[in-house]
Amino acid sequence: MKRRSFLQVLGTGSAGIAAFSCSDRQQARQIEANQDTLAVDWKKAPCRYCGTGCGVEVGLKDGRIMAVRGDEASPVNRGMLCVKGYHLPAMLYGEDRLRYPMLRNDDGRGFSRISWDEALDLIASKYQEALDQTGPESVAFYGSGQWGVHDGYAVTKWFRGGLRSNNVEPNARLCMASAVMGFMTQFQSDEPMGCYEDFEAGDDFILWGNNMAEMHPVLFSRILANKREKPGVRIVDIGTRRTPTTDYADMYVQFTPNSDLALANGILHLLVKQGNVDTAFIRENVVFRRGIEDLNRIGYGCFGPDGLGTDHSAGSAERYGFSDQGRESSFAELERFLEEYTPARVSEISGVTEQQIHALAEMYGDPGRGTVSLWCMGVNQHVRGTWINNLITDLHLITGKISRPGANPFSLTGQPSACGTAREVGTLSNRLPADYVVNNPEHRAKAEGIWGLPEGTIPARPGYHTMDMFRAFMRGDIKVMWVQTTNPWQSIPNLHRIDRNPDDGTFLIVSDIYPTASTEVADLVLPSAGWVEREGVFGNSERRTQHWEKMVDPPGEAMEDAYQVIQVAKRMGMGNLFPWPEDDWHEPMYEEYRQFGLGGGKDLASYQQIKATRGMMWPVVNGQETRYRYAAGHDPYVQKSRGVHFYKAKGYGEKAALWLRPWHPAAESPDEEYPFWLCTGRILEHWHTGSMTRRVKQLHQAAPNAYVEINRADAAELSIKSGDMVRVVSRRGSVELPAKVDGRGKPPRGSTFIPFFDEAKLANALTLDAMDNISKEPDFKKCAVRIEQV
Amino acid sequence: MRGSNRTGLIRLALAAVALVTVGCGQRWVEVPEVDGAVKSTASVRAARRAYDGAPPTIPHDDFGAACSACHDAQGISVEGVGYAPANPHAATPEIGQTARCRQCHVFVIEDELFVASNFEGLQQDLRPGGRLNPIAPPTIPHRTLMRSNCVACHVGPGAREEIVTSHPERTRCRQCHVPVTTRATFNSSLGDGPVARDSAR
Repeated sequence: MKRRSFLQVLGTGSAGIAAFSCSDRQQARQIEANQDTLAVDWKKAPCRYCGTGCGVEVGLKDGRIMAVRGDEASPVNRGMLCVKGYHLPAMLYGEDRLRYPMLRNDDGRGFSRISWDEALDLIASKYQEALDQTGPESVAFYGSGQWGVHDGYAVTKWFRGGLRSNNVEPNARLCMASAVMGFMTQFQSDEPMGCYEDFEAGDDFILWGNNMAEMHPVLFSRILANKREKPGVRIVDIGTRRTPTTDYADMYVQFTPNSDLALANGILHLLVKQGNVDTAFIRENVVFRRGIEDLNRIGYGCFGPDGLGTDHSAGSAERYGFSDQGRESSFAELERFLEEYTPARVSEISGVTEQQIHALAEMYGDPGRGTVSLWCMGVNQHVRGTWINNLITDLHLITGKISRPGANPFSLTGQPSACGTAREVGTLSNRLPADYVVNNPEHRAKAEGIWGLPEGTIPARPGYHTMDMFRAFMRGDIKVMWVQTTNPWQSIPNLHRIDRNPDDGTFLIVSDIYPTASTEVADLVLPSAGWVEREGVFGNSERRTQHWEKMVDPPGEAMEDAYQVIQVAKRMGMGNLFPWPEDDWHEPMYEEYRQFGLGGGKDLASYQQIKATRGMMWPVVNGQETRYRYAAGHDPYVQKSRGVHFYKAKGYGEKAALWLRPWHPAAESPDEEYPFWLCTGRILEHWHTGSMTRRVKQLHQAAPNAYVEINRADAAELSIKSGDMVRVVSRRGSVELPAKVDGRGKPPRGSTFIPFFDEAKLANALTLDAMDNISKEPDFKKCAVRIEQV
Repeated sequence: MRGSNRTGLIRLALAAVALVTVGCGQRWVEVPEVDGAVKSTASVRAARRAYDGAPPTIPHDDFGAACSACHDAQGISVEGVGYAPANPHAATPEIGQTARCRQCHVFVIEDELFVASNFEGLQQDLRPGGRLNPIAPPTIPHRTLMRSNCVACHVGPGAREEIVTSHPERTRCRQCHVPVTTRATFNSSLGDGPVARDSAR
């Protein structure tokens, strides 16, 4: 090996002329002859994938997307992208794009093309028939955190205001619902107080069950850049397996699944014991609350007790309707509550060393350091997801490390508009836009006022949450369900519970851009316009509302999701809900929607503002965005003299609620028969069920199929080598896939991991449909499996 | 060198040699005076990217080593094998320890496609940057974001002949070469001549 031997070579530089490649010369000549081939028009858009909301510039030529580049003007990513973002342009050009409406043939086999008129008429008649015969509880819409704001708004308005049904849900129930309930129970207003500038302003970054290097790579890069510039910056990776994130962590804290609840209480215990609490902040800004803690009363909401492998079957029902009841508590009660969470006991429950528990308490307790807690699916997809959201935020409330630059609890989102559409528009079954809920009469009146509907139009009872919605659909209680922009027949846990026979008397409509596991079982498949094939708005994790314009035509007859919905509403005589001109409805619809939040601290920027900028962070008042909510000098709703003011929490005297939340075990834990934990999740290259990313050459060729990560020692004991095919079996199903030992993720002994992007190797055939007691978000991260040689 | 690394490098070398022998369709060019080493061309570059501006995929096996071990600030060449280009993203190898290369650069472990694609990527603009006169320094015709280490592509045995600098000893490239951010010409907003400008003062 000759290091830097180019210095020798440079002496012979003239030989280079002879070495000029002839294919290059040909290519250069072609370009010279037709310079126009490189004339590309660049337009701004947010990335289509995760909740980061990176800005891209889309390179357009002759009605096609030729390239993207990171938008240097975007404050989110400042020109950088991850491998998925760079390969966005190819995502829309898979050969099997859905182009025409397709109806399942009478014999149940295959589909035939029909016209849009026929398709829309059919949907309208199916919905009308169900309404007439079985009522508004028998119709449903299952959408997505990938919906643009217009799509979600059109559906929620049509369903609640037109069909008079609250059976609207987004896949964000599988993703963000626990964070929603975390923020709602503590601040009575959803979404984080901080913003991405925390990544430069913070000193200690505590990642709770969050493989940020793969899931939010561009944001992780901002932390790494901060670390390069400020050598004191620390990253702590609290996880159940080693991931690429661990390679960059200053401390790796490994805990037993579900014991993060005990760990957080252990940290609180030490903070209180050692007096590392901000007493003045607590006195002015914090109230204490305590909810129901009885495990037998709460249960896990699994489909049924059979095959669950646990005694905790209470709450197992067709409809999981557990409802928490909070009561007032106090600092004194907190002290007593925390007594039992000594380092020794927490270490016993969690497997975390006492030394590490002390180290974490020192980090959170050091008033001189900015602490940012980050989390995503590890904390949200959790049978006590709201509780662990509460506990992490409690760590910030008790130390006063909240609502200031570099010190915040920050929940990351997995979908591009989980915040913008699922949460802000309120497409969850109990919600209306801007934090309003259907079971509050004043909120319903507000919505009816904006929508110009008679009082009493919107039903007061929340609809089915996602898990119950699919159970009701399989029972036949829901007759018609329309699915847009998501793929539940791959992403719902315990998939065999929703094995669908299209002959079962119900009607399923699926709108997507590619064939998926869900279009396979649909009765009617509709082709959607994707990403920049239509105009749209996304809201990202830091409350930033971003707009993009339509840049290219969709293929065939593909049509934008919101427009499909409006056309059906019109056919059902509900066109009054969408009174705008057919060629100019995006701006007036958005401006109507914006009225919900104005003056209430959820003020979105105007359409013209988001068109002209790289997005703006709400609340936007007098044209100014807000970087830090509840903070004087940042948030226009807070008086300058006040410091921090949690003004949305009217129910708590405009203070934040610190909840006492105990540790509970997982719904299903390994035993003799099923000795391994199974965790599921994403990987860098693939996004969700892979329907888009697998159609990109570079992404597919980097990660062509799912595998099961197994610890090296476990593999040796089972005589399995990396690459061997194995069968992973749970009480609910089995899947065959190659083993991976010492791959990018390294589970500890007794743990396994399977990514869920691969439709041929369905991780969710194995997972359990246990869910959070408050948010009703299922836990994809913990169930028990065994591994067999094939 | 560890065994696994050697296997990977040999595979890379074999692939490279096979390409060199294809005549005028050739994609690799031999490096003069470095035995058996080969260097990139524009078409090799294109083959590793979805479009001009996309990050290249990694054309070798996973050696299990830190990327910056070879792709440091200047790059290394390996006799009989080829050249590991420098990291164009920074001027120092230290960045390798706290940056995550593989969030953008991925290995290719599969030859087939999941579904065929109709995507056609943007080609690289092979036109040279503009010059005022034949001996003036050319302007930089590409974006420089994350491409601040000019050495990575313009110096060294792996650099494509047509873009190799004649003066690598002058290390401050950007004092003479400036990036072109617009192809439009300047139109003064002050009026059409010296009179208008004077009066504006």
